[in-house]
Amino acid sequence: MNRTPSPASVALRRLLIVISVAVGLVVFAYGWSVTEINFDKPQEPLRQQNFGNAIRELLSPDLLERDYEIKVGSSPFLVECKAGEAAPAAATAPTDGSPYLVVSPTCADSGTPITIQGFNFYPNSLARLTWVANDGTRSIQRIVGNSKDNFVTDDNGTFNVQISVPKIRGSAGKISTIETQGYFPTGSPHFTDTTSLVLQKMVETIFLALIATAISILPSVVISIFAAHNLMRPVRISLGNLLVMVALLPVGWWIGTNLLAQLGHLILTAAHGGTAVAGGTASLLIFGAVTSSRMRSPEINPFNGRMRSAFNTLLVVLVGVVIVGVLGVAGIIIGRWFSDGILGYVSRFIGSLGQLIELLIVPLCGIIGAFGLASIGGALTTDGLKKIDTTTQHVVGGILGAICGAILLGMMALIGMQAAWLGFLTPIVAGVLGAQLLPLLYNKLSGKKQTSIAGRSLDAILWWVGFIAAFAVTFLTLNMGLAIIEGTLPPATSVTTIGFITISNYLAEAMLIGVVLGGVGGLAVGTKANFPLGEVLYQTTRTILNTLRAIEPLIIALIFSIWVGIGPFAGVLALTLHSIASLAKLYSEQIESIDTGPIEALQSTGANRLQTIMYAVVPQVIPPFVSFTMYRWDINVRMSTIIGFVGGGGIGFVLQQQINLAQYRGAGVAVLAIAIVVSVLDYLSAAIREHYV
Amino acid sequence: MLVIENVTKVYENGFVALKGISLEIPDGQFVAIIGLSGSGKSTLLRCINRLIEPTSGRIVWNGLDITAAPDDELRVIRRRIGMIFQQFNLVKRASVMSNVLSGRLGYVNPVYSLFNYFPTQEKARAMAALERVGIADRAQNRAGNLSGGQQQRVGIARALMQDPELMLADEPVASLDPATSHSVMKYLQLLNEEDGISILCSLHFLSLARAYADRVIALKDGKLEFDGLPKDIDEDRFRQIYGEDAVQVEIH
Repeated sequence: MNRTPSPASVALRRLLIVISVAVGLVVFAYGWSVTEINFDKPQEPLRQQNFGNAIRELLSPDLLERDYEIKVGSSPFLVECKAGEAAPAAATAPTDGSPYLVVSPTCADSGTPITIQGFNFYPNSLARLTWVANDGTRSIQRIVGNSKDNFVTDDNGTFNVQISVPKIRGSAGKISTIETQGYFPTGSPHFTDTTSLVLQKMVETIFLALIATAISILPSVVISIFAAHNLMRPVRISLGNLLVMVALLPVGWWIGTNLLAQLGHLILTAAHGGTAVAGGTASLLIFGAVTSSRMRSPEINPFNGRMRSAFNTLLVVLVGVVIVGVLGVAGIIIGRWFSDGILGYVSRFIGSLGQLIELLIVPLCGIIGAFGLASIGGALTTDGLKKIDTTTQHVVGGILGAICGAILLGMMALIGMQAAWLGFLTPIVAGVLGAQLLPLLYNKLSGKKQTSIAGRSLDAILWWVGFIAAFAVTFLTLNMGLAIIEGTLPPATSVTTIGFITISNYLAEAMLIGVVLGGVGGLAVGTKANFPLGEVLYQTTRTILNTLRAIEPLIIALIFSIWVGIGPFAGVLALTLHSIASLAKLYSEQIESIDTGPIEALQSTGANRLQTIMYAVVPQVIPPFVSFTMYRWDINVRMSTIIGFVGGGGIGFVLQQQINLAQYRGAGVAVLAIAIVVSVLDYLSAAIREHYV
Repeated sequence: MLVIENVTKVYENGFVALKGISLEIPDGQFVAIIGLSGSGKSTLLRCINRLIEPTSGRIVWNGLDITAAPDDELRVIRRRIGMIFQQFNLVKRASVMSNVLSGRLGYVNPVYSLFNYFPTQEKARAMAALERVGIADRAQNRAGNLSGGQQQRVGIARALMQDPELMLADEPVASLDPATSHSVMKYLQLLNEEDGISILCSLHFLSLARAYADRVIALKDGKLEFDGLPKDIDEDRFRQIYGEDAVQVEIH
């Protein structure tokens, strides 16, 4: 570029620079006033003094203390020397080494200064002077030249101070007593109660972070596979197969929650040693049989192969339920073994896992049943779907599409019925379906594939038209405007009765829209079409993760503390949820950046998808995974220090309490503990990460 | 016998990589595929084991229609087709042994293999494969620590684990120096002669094709330009395949 810019363009550029500087200045100035930056308040003397005190106390953490014993040295004193009345004699050193005072003179008028010397006090410790009048009234005396009412002894445990004789009515001519209370430390310095509490809460904090990180690892690894574009993009499935599977999901769920759950309950209720052991052995034997039946290499005999794989799946489902049940029983039994000591912790932990399985047995069985039946159905219908002719393909596609559309939108509507704004789910999903449908229909009807730029932008326009149309229709049909403005839920009372099934109007309407969209789509493309299952899973996972990550752990903790009560458990749940969202994203980015060569190589050897991931992906991602997990633990420790502010347990609770009570020295201990733990972990995690990457 | 019938591949961006290729490759042949970069050599090899889905056409191998096979059948077919790559495609962090064993994944029990368990006989097979390519002593080394030639030999050992009847080699020596290239080609020749494995090998250098191949196939812009004996490629043929400005470079 050797073209010299014209003067006009130079001038224009300068003008633009001036304008953008001016705009920047205005924005900055506005921000200055919005954030209420002003210098009046900090100059108020009271605020300055409070600030100074707070900082001073924060920096003098109430970490250690000593127990003290107070020993008293006293001396008589005559107020107003009178002739004839003898002044008390000066004290002499007691033989037992206890503290004593020497006052000179031993008599004086009120208001005159007298000198008091103390001996045998503890070196460099506090002492305090009390005047005991003849009638027994006590008053603490300030010494001359000191604003405080106490003073410090010297290195030898002595002091030499002056006070002026106080004016006390009726004391003239009578003997008063001067007392000095000296602080004598007993025992060695030890932690304050605050420190013990802080230490206890710090341990809670570290474990809170550790548990949250540990729990989140496994879900994150699994989810990260679905959120990795390079793994998911090639995953495609024939639409017919997918539709059969989706249509079977609710049936499988029903079978699972009703029949399989019975089996699970049966095993769980038989929580007596013998039955459980027998069941466990039996299930392991069956498991062994299944694995060894899979040991034989697959044959090129499609139908046989499919029957066998369907049978295998059925076995796996049954054995799966048995194993889940036996694990639950084993957990509950082990949970009762020990009650204290280290074994007590372990046993309670396993026991609560067993309890968890017991609580979740119905949904677990439902999931096993749903995916089991879907897999069996998919395997058995593959060949049938391949053989049918084109017309049948489209008809079957339409029917299955209608069923699946109803299931999809019905599920969304079920979720949407729980809260007004969750209702948006249904129109959004319907919108996405409509957006896919309209360009597809147009291309089918016009009979050409859009490749030109004009054609593609037409597709994009159709996409948006389809989205908006389906969204609007669903929105209006479900009467969602009202729900959103009023914040009400759809009426569950108005119901539709189809045969012997009774469902709410809201659900029926949503399912009807699903039937139309799914049916038309399925009819148009037929069962043989290739469905980009991986891409859909990827986009869905990413969207959920991004949404979840946008919610601060503090807010999640606030919500969970309502459910599980204030304490570290709420913090664990909040941090776990947030860790899963962020670790899954970090993990998936690592998976996306791996060398794809080994994947290609393993695919070419005939390895299946899971094996390819285990042997080509896993070895490449383990070191970065370890490093990210350490990093996450680090972040979780930082977060758990403040999660107590909202009821999430840990040290934040102590910190908040001390600050609210203006106990800044106590708060100082908590701040110190946080600083130490965070910097040590920071160093540790950096060292481990450096070792691994 | 591998029969390729009228195979065409159009990529999603509209690039036509293969234009109606038809070939027949009898068992036991050593076939070299030559041509410029972008002429479709890699695409053709990858269409055979469907690492790339052909857009149209049929590929039939020993009576099995590869192009029509569903996923699980395809895996069974792939087990008998070994493949080695220009970039070796080893897991560099894993040991040589683990890389070689991974070639057997199509045969072993999938459940056990997920726990990294391989039966003793498979481990013995892996050692035997490493011995054949002469690097049994490096079995426990990290694959990434080996030299290029050694890594390619690990690649061959991994393919040997599949007990292959056909070997696809995608530029197996393009990242290696001339001396190492010859040693790797000699191992391929050995497999071809001793085990009767058919070999389909894409190459940059005509001299290597002349030295090792029974038959040469030349691709140009996705079309079959030449199919015949290595010695039939004279100066004119050469210019046809590689373009007017090309000069023959010998690799010794």
